[in-house]
Amino acid sequence: MIAAPRLSTILLAAITVLVAALLYSPLFVPIASSFFPVARGEVDWSSPTVETYVALAGNHEILAALRTTLVVGVCTVVLSVVSGTLLALYYHGRRAGRSLLQFIVFLPFLMPPIISGLALLIFFREIGLERSLLTVVIGHTVFVLAIVYRTVLTRLQSMSRTLVEASYDLGATKWQTFWRVILPNLSSATVGGAILAFALSFDETMITILVTGTQTTLPVRLWAMMRLGFSPDINALVALILMFTILLCALAARFLVPRQIATQRS
Amino acid sequence: MKSAGLARPVAIRWSPLVTALAFALPVVFVLVPLAIFLVYSFFSVDQGQIVYAPTLANYLRFFTDPVFLPVFWRTIVLCLSVAVISILLAYPTAYFLTTLRGRWRYALLMLLMVPLLMSYVIKIYAIRSILGLNGFLNKALVGLGILAEPSTLFVFNMNAILLTLTLLLIPFAILPIFLALERIPQVLLRASDDLGASSLQTFLRITLPLSLPGVASAASFVFVLAIGDFLTPQMVGGISGFTFGRILYSQFGTAYNWPFGAALSVALAVVVIVAILLGERFGRNRGTSL
Repeated sequence: MIAAPRLSTILLAAITVLVAALLYSPLFVPIASSFFPVARGEVDWSSPTVETYVALAGNHEILAALRTTLVVGVCTVVLSVVSGTLLALYYHGRRAGRSLLQFIVFLPFLMPPIISGLALLIFFREIGLERSLLTVVIGHTVFVLAIVYRTVLTRLQSMSRTLVEASYDLGATKWQTFWRVILPNLSSATVGGAILAFALSFDETMITILVTGTQTTLPVRLWAMMRLGFSPDINALVALILMFTILLCALAARFLVPRQIATQRS
Repeated sequence: MKSAGLARPVAIRWSPLVTALAFALPVVFVLVPLAIFLVYSFFSVDQGQIVYAPTLANYLRFFTDPVFLPVFWRTIVLCLSVAVISILLAYPTAYFLTTLRGRWRYALLMLLMVPLLMSYVIKIYAIRSILGLNGFLNKALVGLGILAEPSTLFVFNMNAILLTLTLLLIPFAILPIFLALERIPQVLLRASDDLGASSLQTFLRITLPLSLPGVASAASFVFVLAIGDFLTPQMVGGISGFTFGRILYSQFGTAYNWPFGAALSVALAVVVIVAILLGERFGRNRGTSL
């Protein structure tokens, strides 16, 4: 049943369009300007070009930063998925100490990153750990752990115990049950959690700025470049990162969107 | 989600080694650093060296020095404004989403959430280029004849921080409000309609009060994220856009007074915790379950 649109509906729709435009404007501006040359901080809209992309391919600093980001991202994903899954399995169906440790896991996610970052900075200094990629990975891992933990725990809670009992009844050992029953059932949640963890790590800037050594990740590199001013290859890079992120989001959604919503849509 | 009956939780027995492993990461790298951080705020600095002796000097300085408290309050007011503006834009948007049916509702919600997952630094940079002297906003305002010449109103000041934070954080306001609106039982709205209430009366007497918990959560989210952000003020704030986060950071950089910086962080953390607790307290959905 579709009622004729009323004034209030039109007004609401207009506000929604405005909000969407506001939200997307910072995404489209760099993409659009990446195809035009920049001179003295102004975009020349008259002559479209791909030279910004060519310049980007020759920018070794940016490519090195991209490599660092990927290395950090992969290490973070491995650490946070293993540890987050362990925590979720450990905490699932158990009460004692659960809320306390859960609180600790969520702290870096709730606290402003500047506080988590500074706390880690002081900690690393006090234990004599030099700032390096290792400290960046640790920083990212504690930051994204909450997301992986939450994702896996949600899946575990919707998993039926009868599956495990059936496995035991059929004579499987503890490890067989874990590898053949529990883990496969968790797989899409862990993959989804891993993608989210990677996306968060890929974007994390504040903690990285504080705990990194000489090697910088892409956001930190961008941050340093942007403070100096506009440069055409930044726009190209921004456009590429946006497309990459959209791809990641689509992938994460594919693994994480609840079934009800998925079926509702089809 | 509570599992009951057939769907009892999966129980696994654990060896102490696995237990220790599960605890190790969060305890060693979250709890211990934060504890050290807290302890640091009671230390002091003498000639560039940290003095490991307890003192309340940092906190006294925070409360008595004429510099810090005004910036602290100003930052809180700024972030409250961000929360209010975000909600004013997010509420009609979320309300509109709930009037849609089926696939459109979630497709549009998803569309409004995607910008959240885009690189933060890049968005700040893009917004700065939109707000700048040669930016789109000024070009549009001059083109429309609203401004005679490009204005510096929107960049390197508090307005710029306010606008940028709002643009970045609106999605965080949309989601909780949408969830609260979606949870309102349709029967209540139909009953109100049956009893002869106008749609405005139904909105003011039923929808609005029942969605207020979502508004509280949204306000708490946006405020906490805004007050913890340091990159936005640094990038678009300029000299006149000085916020508490920037002062805090400067204690670790140029001023090299880590204990005082830690004390300022504790003040920030207290505000964040209060905002989260208030959000929790008023954000719980009551009376919507039938």
